[in-house]
Amino acid sequence: MSNLNNLRFLLLTATMAIASCSAADDSKADSHADSHADDPRHVRHELMEDVGKAAKPVGKMLKGETEYDAAIIMASLQTWHDVSLQIGDLFPEGSETGMDTEAAPAIWEDRAGFDEAISKWRSAVEAAQAAAPATLEAAKTTVGPIFQTCKGCHDNYRIED
Amino acid sequence: MGRTGRTIVILLAVLVLAAWWLTEPRPLRGALPDHVANAPAGERIFWAAGCASCHASPVGGKRAKGDDKLLLGGGLELDTPYGIFRAPNISPHEQDGIGNWTMIEFVNAMQRGIAPDKRHYYPSFPYASYAKMRTEDVMDLRAYLDTIPPVAGKIADHTLGFPWTLRRGISVWKLRYLSAAPIVSVATSDATLEHGRDLVEGAGHCGECHTPRDSLGGMMTGRWLGGAPNPEGRGRIPNITPGGKNTADWSAADIAYYLESGFTPDYDTVGGSMVAVQENMAELTKVDRDAIAAYLKSVPAVTDE
Repeated sequence: MSNLNNLRFLLLTATMAIASCSAADDSKADSHADSHADDPRHVRHELMEDVGKAAKPVGKMLKGETEYDAAIIMASLQTWHDVSLQIGDLFPEGSETGMDTEAAPAIWEDRAGFDEAISKWRSAVEAAQAAAPATLEAAKTTVGPIFQTCKGCHDNYRIED
Repeated sequence: MGRTGRTIVILLAVLVLAAWWLTEPRPLRGALPDHVANAPAGERIFWAAGCASCHASPVGGKRAKGDDKLLLGGGLELDTPYGIFRAPNISPHEQDGIGNWTMIEFVNAMQRGIAPDKRHYYPSFPYASYAKMRTEDVMDLRAYLDTIPPVAGKIADHTLGFPWTLRRGISVWKLRYLSAAPIVSVATSDATLEHGRDLVEGAGHCGECHTPRDSLGGMMTGRWLGGAPNPEGRGRIPNITPGGKNTADWSAADIAYYLESGFTPDYDTVGGSMVAVQENMAELTKVDRDAIAAYLKSVPAVTDE
């Protein structure tokens, strides 16, 4: 009988403990959302999305699907440049996994190579910014090579889900 | 032994003989097409068929890049539920590669899955797709393979579990799944669609990954290109029919551009095992990629699972 009581007591305390934990979770819900937004895995993902969004109108122009607009090109170059300055710091130790990250272990195993891939991208962007291509033909030779750097880095430092 | 006993023994013997006859490797007989093999034309087939993706020797544990893709010494290992398959040396080296094969031996390997010593190849070598190629294209491919550097060194045989070690059983598989007939019927008046079908169903062997397999490992043609579990583990190989949620709104131009550049319409880049495939497709002509895109837009839509 006393065994049964012990079991009841144990179950009761366990239930209370779980309940208080989830209550604590609820109270922290807001701050938790904030910490998620600051999480480097989240931030770097959003920045990469921005890079893709900036690439889309440029790609369409280079393919001749839309009319050439130098202002759009320069705006996208600016976005890429901004991201290229921030992105390298968003892969700290401890952010290797989780949150569906597609970051490859190679980033942490070969940090120098990863940093070099980013600076290769940034150099290509800076060269295009300096050239400020005014025509489609000029953009093909100055902006085109930037696109190659995307794949070069992804092949080595991103895993496919 | 009574009369019934004798009958049973005779019946069994007949069955064994029938099984032996049924599982006999069946090479092509008769003449090859009247065609002068053309190496430059074969180079296009080489990239379309993705030979390098399996047969180029890995460099430092990674897949070969650039000119190393032409060193077909083999050695890549495919870790599968059946065991480990090792891609052999198909460089033109006379002892270790395929340098001394005759043209008919090469065609039999590619389109019937039969080695020069008459053994069956395992379908990890995608001859079930290559069987649908134009034999002239296979002959051109051979002419091209004769022009690349010979690589010394034999690759160890596969390491498979029982009963997969019984190669003779592959005959049964072939009876069911090996056919030169096309999968999707297209109007013969449409040269672009026919060309795209040749490349996708044949050399490109796209269905080997993008089509789900049944319990015997054959492609389920009823769900042709409808997406499948990733044989290398994580995730799924996407549905690339007009019914696939990821690619349904891609135009033919989007598909052709993806194969050329590696960029999706949203400017994400190609990933996973498709990277090597896309790089191969980039070596084809624009006409080839446009034909592939036109064919993919025309195949029956498969709904996502």
